[in-house]
Amino acid sequence: MVTNEWNIVIVEELVFVLIVLPFLAAICSYLIRSGAVRSFIVLATGSLMAASALLLIPRVPFAFSPKALFGVGVHDIILAADFFLLFLILYFGFKHHSLVIKILALFQIVLMAYLEFFLIRDDAAFLTIYCDNLTLIMVLIISIVGSIICVQAIPYMKNYEEHLDLKKSRQHRFFFVMILFLGAMNGLVLSNDMVFFYFFFEVTTLCSFLLIAHDGTETAIKNAVRALWMNSLGGAAFIVALVLIYKEMGALDMQRIVHTSPAAGLCLLALALLCFAAFTKAAQFPFQGWLLGAMVAPTPVSALLHSSTMVKVGVYLVLRLAPAMNGTFLSQCVALFGGFTFLAAAALAVGQSNGKKVLAYSTISNLGLIFACAGLNIPEAITAAILLVIFHAVIKALLFLCVGTIEQHIESRDIEDMRGLYAQMPLTALTTVMGVIMMIMPPFGVLLGKWMAMEAAARNLYVIIMIALGSALTVMYWARWAGTLMSDPFAGRFRPERQPLLTWAALASLCAGGGVLSIAAPWLYSRMIIPALNGNYVPPYTVHVGILENSFGVFPVLPLCLVAALGFVISIWAVRRAARARIIAPYLSGLQTAEPGVFRGPMNRLVKAEARNYYLSSIFGEERLTTWINLGAAVLLTLLVGGAL
Amino acid sequence: MINTCALILAGLVAAPLAGGLVNGLDRILTARFQARVGPPVVQPFYDVVKLLGKEKTVVNVWQAFCAYCYLAATAISVVLFFLQSDLLLILFIQAVGAVFLVIGALSSTSPYSQVGAQRELLQILSYEPLLVLVTVGIYLETGSFKIGQVYAWDEPLLLKLPFLFVVLGYALTIKLRKSPFDLSTSHHGHQELVKGLLTDYSGPFLALTEIGHWFEVVLILGLCSLFWATSWIGMIIIVATTYFLEIVIDNVSARMNWRWMLGYVWAMGLTLSVVNLVWLYVR
Repeated sequence: MVTNEWNIVIVEELVFVLIVLPFLAAICSYLIRSGAVRSFIVLATGSLMAASALLLIPRVPFAFSPKALFGVGVHDIILAADFFLLFLILYFGFKHHSLVIKILALFQIVLMAYLEFFLIRDDAAFLTIYCDNLTLIMVLIISIVGSIICVQAIPYMKNYEEHLDLKKSRQHRFFFVMILFLGAMNGLVLSNDMVFFYFFFEVTTLCSFLLIAHDGTETAIKNAVRALWMNSLGGAAFIVALVLIYKEMGALDMQRIVHTSPAAGLCLLALALLCFAAFTKAAQFPFQGWLLGAMVAPTPVSALLHSSTMVKVGVYLVLRLAPAMNGTFLSQCVALFGGFTFLAAAALAVGQSNGKKVLAYSTISNLGLIFACAGLNIPEAITAAILLVIFHAVIKALLFLCVGTIEQHIESRDIEDMRGLYAQMPLTALTTVMGVIMMIMPPFGVLLGKWMAMEAAARNLYVIIMIALGSALTVMYWARWAGTLMSDPFAGRFRPERQPLLTWAALASLCAGGGVLSIAAPWLYSRMIIPALNGNYVPPYTVHVGILENSFGVFPVLPLCLVAALGFVISIWAVRRAARARIIAPYLSGLQTAEPGVFRGPMNRLVKAEARNYYLSSIFGEERLTTWINLGAAVLLTLLVGGAL
Repeated sequence: MINTCALILAGLVAAPLAGGLVNGLDRILTARFQARVGPPVVQPFYDVVKLLGKEKTVVNVWQAFCAYCYLAATAISVVLFFLQSDLLLILFIQAVGAVFLVIGALSSTSPYSQVGAQRELLQILSYEPLLVLVTVGIYLETGSFKIGQVYAWDEPLLLKLPFLFVVLGYALTIKLRKSPFDLSTSHHGHQELVKGLLTDYSGPFLALTEIGHWFEVVLILGLCSLFWATSWIGMIIIVATTYFLEIVIDNVSARMNWRWMLGYVWAMGLTLSVVNLVWLYVR
């Protein structure tokens, strides 16, 4: 008994470090305006959070309800903070003259007041904190990947502000929001009480608004306001769902919702509205605008929004609710909607030459795939979804940090300007290519997830067709980018470029993390994902010497990794040998000159040979597709919410 | 264990030999269609041996890397096929090979390589979804993606999946880069594209891509054989007929452009797939 109580004390401390410490650290880094101290705070908070998340691993599942924080009731703190937050959003609505934000904020304030002061009885008490393996996976992603991004932001922001030539540093504000964001994310995934969940949901909305607006330029403000109103729409849907759920069940307890199916009287409309809120957070069509606009912010912001925070709120919420939706029309609609987004975003990505936009559409596309899996709602699909969440977080963070590093060096984010980047920044280019490879190739984790998703979707005609088309488009836009990076001119000997140590540390840890986790995927599956299915789903695969197998499919993860490693070593050996081979100029069908890419053409003139990638904008261009895609998504959303009525 | 090793060895050694021979037969048949005598059947081997003996020249060392990766991926996919592994996984691995071939071509600045690589990407874009849908059809019929269970199915798949077999035919023609889908590279190096995708692969590295191509041929014929797996004779007939038709189509059609390819193949392929898949679903 003593050990058990002791365990609970430890768990409470760890959760404190994961949620409350970031809030305190954020305030410190705001108040103490010294670069060195701020770097120390970021590093210390990041390491503490990562360590706490790791220490939680052997202690799940657990649940508890903290009574008071610093002597004040936790519930009162959240309530006060919630109203403060909503009024803050209202203030921003007035400041930026946005009628939509004003209306949505007022709507939420009124409903929140109604819910708290008229509906919820005083003696109603729900379990506040609940942590199972699904939560744990999210906490690990947020605390480790999120911290790595914050660490990389230290050298990045220094460079960024030097470049902008600012008179007054705004970094204290920047890191305040970044660290706060991580705390809010941990709070969100650990909350079992839906009111708490809603509070943290709104904190992430506000944080993303502040981060996108960071530069204060006209575009930044415009895009930030768009992000705020789109996410407020999600918030409004969320609070309506809360009211409906409370009226139905007399409780706002996430675990009770999960274990009450619509057949048992749970309001289906409430679930549909929660899915709607999740889609806005995850920037699914037609709400993609806010995530695309978010790239005006410094790159660490994009990395954070796209990988470990914000958009992952959406998929986490739907994955959490999936057991409750099982067997409903709603679940089918979510699968269809996800499949559609996967395909549509991949098509839009093909038409882009802007590297960050490609990454953004790829995020939307991958999240669509995760939603499709959650909607398919069979064990294989849920496993695929969790794997994709993990690997997408790690690798998308890596790719964003790579593009950020590249952008600071070449001052462009256009893929065409990255042609032959290997000659200038060999190590960053190689890391980026590695990230791309981990995105599209077996035996790496993303593809393992995609394989599971496809085999799970095979019994759903519409979804499998959309996934098949979407993944072919995905291969196209990634392969094109990787090839462009490794293009000529030939660099000669390999000399890594100079970058701050923290940048290298962040890139190396993410890249190695993606690789190691891929090799460890069978272990990840049996140790982390099977418990995360929570007994709601039968574990779909058996694991035998690193081979994942079920009755109709088999993926030999470990053997393939070994063979791939062997192939990789041989190929690297081939590169070393080829370095001694004679280097010749590319074939130009004319008399070569000493200058690379120039040949002597007709009339003895010098002709510069040039080629660019196909972006097929006449088919896949934004201006051509976006309207139709938004329309299609709107129809599907109407189907989803209307079907639940 | 012995059995597994034998299968791996067969995949690594017998498969490319068979692929080379098929290639030789292809060249003889094509020559006969064009009223020529054609080379001896082992000519592809002579070519590769000669290429392997040439001086190593590259435009970019990454091209060597990509050539090796292409060969490795195609070899692994064939070995997995011989080990009767998962069909979908095999498709993914052959896609790795295809992607590395493209990345290798993109590493040269020659416009011919570049355009060839872009077109090859469009070819991949055209056939990949079709191959996936074909495997989905096989799964719906046999209840498994594992080749072992597909071969053990007691009824020829062709009878249940006739349209999907046609779709597979489209995919194979594109994958083998036969006319009218020889957009990314062609057999003849004197056209507007020069050698497209393969323009800047030379000497031993070109030989590697050629061996990789033999593996691909075997994999493709293996996929065809799934459709009549109940008897050896049926298997041989279906494989021989399919390949013969490929050669005929190659010889009677002219190269088309990528717009036509993407539009036509997706429209036809998807329609045929959907019709056939719906049959399987409603059953």
